Amino acid sequence: MRAARDRRVLLAQASAVLGFFLLWEGASRLGLADPRLLPPPTLVLPKVAELLADAGFRRHLWVTVRELLLAGVIAAPLGVGIGLALAESPYLGRAFKPFFHFVAAVPKSVFLPVFILLFGIGFGQKVAFGVFQALFVLVIATAAAVAAVPDELLRLARANGATRWQIWTEIHWNAMLPLILEGLRLGMIFNIAGVIFAEMYVSRAGLGQRFSTWGESFRMPELFAGVLIAAALSIIVNETLRALERRAGAWRTP
Amino acid sequence: MSATAAIPAREARRWRLSPVALRWLCLAALLALWEVAPRAGWVPQVILSPPSAALASGFAEWDFFASALAFTFGEILVSLCFAYGLGGLLGLVIGLSPFGRRAALPLVSSLYALPLVVIYPVMTAWFGIGPASKVWFASLYGIFPVILATAAGVQLVDRNLITMARAQGAGFWPMMAEVIIPAALPAVISGLRVGGALVTVGVVVAEMLASTDGIGFLITQNRTMFRTPQVYFGILLVLVLAGTLDTLISRLERRASRWRPQQDNAHE
Repeated sequence: MRAARDRRVLLAQASAVLGFFLLWEGASRLGLADPRLLPPPTLVLPKVAELLADAGFRRHLWVTVRELLLAGVIAAPLGVGIGLALAESPYLGRAFKPFFHFVAAVPKSVFLPVFILLFGIGFGQKVAFGVFQALFVLVIATAAAVAAVPDELLRLARANGATRWQIWTEIHWNAMLPLILEGLRLGMIFNIAGVIFAEMYVSRAGLGQRFSTWGESFRMPELFAGVLIAAALSIIVNETLRALERRAGAWRTP
Repeated sequence: MSATAAIPAREARRWRLSPVALRWLCLAALLALWEVAPRAGWVPQVILSPPSAALASGFAEWDFFASALAFTFGEILVSLCFAYGLGGLLGLVIGLSPFGRRAALPLVSSLYALPLVVIYPVMTAWFGIGPASKVWFASLYGIFPVILATAAGVQLVDRNLITMARAQGAGFWPMMAEVIIPAALPAVISGLRVGGALVTVGVVVAEMLASTDGIGFLITQNRTMFRTPQVYFGILLVLVLAGTLDTLISRLERRASRWRPQQDNAHE
């Protein structure tokens, strides 16, 4: 019963995606849209393969991937560390949590020109901007994760004489991990969007730089293929982190 | 949590500043450093302009900024209409059918997670670099939280209300207007708030990338000419604009949830 319903949902989703591509193909083939502006998927999908086989494009892709990874590797420990400090010290928390909540709500993309003034237009500027985009949601998620550790479990563990280390590894870690991973996932989404935006704005290399160039020179098949590649990249990151999140949270009673 | 937090805080008060004072002190120190560092020559003024200089040069060119701000605000309003109208409608349709929720909501949230900014070059190729491309882009940018929140709001409507209205013979439209929409509204408005913020960012980001007018265009133009104080002033204006819009929408939120009994809000 449940499996059948899941299959129906999956079928509906697959047909929605397929329908989208068919509609796109049809609109372009039947002249509803100018094929120069909307190249059909049968032209775009081979272009994806062509781009991925092209060493020049792979170099740009690799630049973006490196920027994203480095920004993630810097933002993750920094964000978790700040979040832990804010949650574990009530004094620091009361002093600075509102500040982090405020900055998290502020539109951060408009600060991009400041990063250009500070760091130039190279690799480092993209990484710094990615860290800036990812950091605040991660801090807030970590602080929320600490608050979500069940109090009664802590009391029970203490009453049974658990050491501080045991309490951390057995209770805090398990209770916090799913929430921290969710923060990391959101942070990576912001990171990807921020880095690609920064590349589109001013850059000499990277996926975003390709998109801007293709858009300005009306090379639509390449542009659409690039959009699909960027979408695939972010779906892979998102789904990987979501799967980890689900696994880490599997112990919870649903 | 609050009980354990109170004790160290009370101990701390004997020898430390209150947390709130520390926060404001740090912010004041940051602001002072921002003012002093470029003036003292620790940082070149072309990189970091002191806030006083940013305000002074910004207000000296207030006419430019005001007209750009009005232009941007117009684009935001039009985009809001599209994002709210279409998003609300789609959310309503998805939220009303259980199958729609299970099939469509995961797709919508996956789309929401994509870096949508990559679409903008397509928009400029299709609609030019005038306001049309901004409106399309920002509407798309802001529509997803509206859809998700509306669908969730409709889903959360108390089934008893619907049963009661149906028992009294309410048709489809009265049911919509009198029961489902008002009951879903508080949840919807939190989505409008996120959507409004995204629409604002979307318009400004689009203007920064390719445009002929608007506040984002002014920021980019001043940046390429290394007129740093004006860049900072433009950024400040965007923040004020976003803050004002958010305040307006959250005031609406408070008004919309006023009719609800208090205990209903507690479990949300």
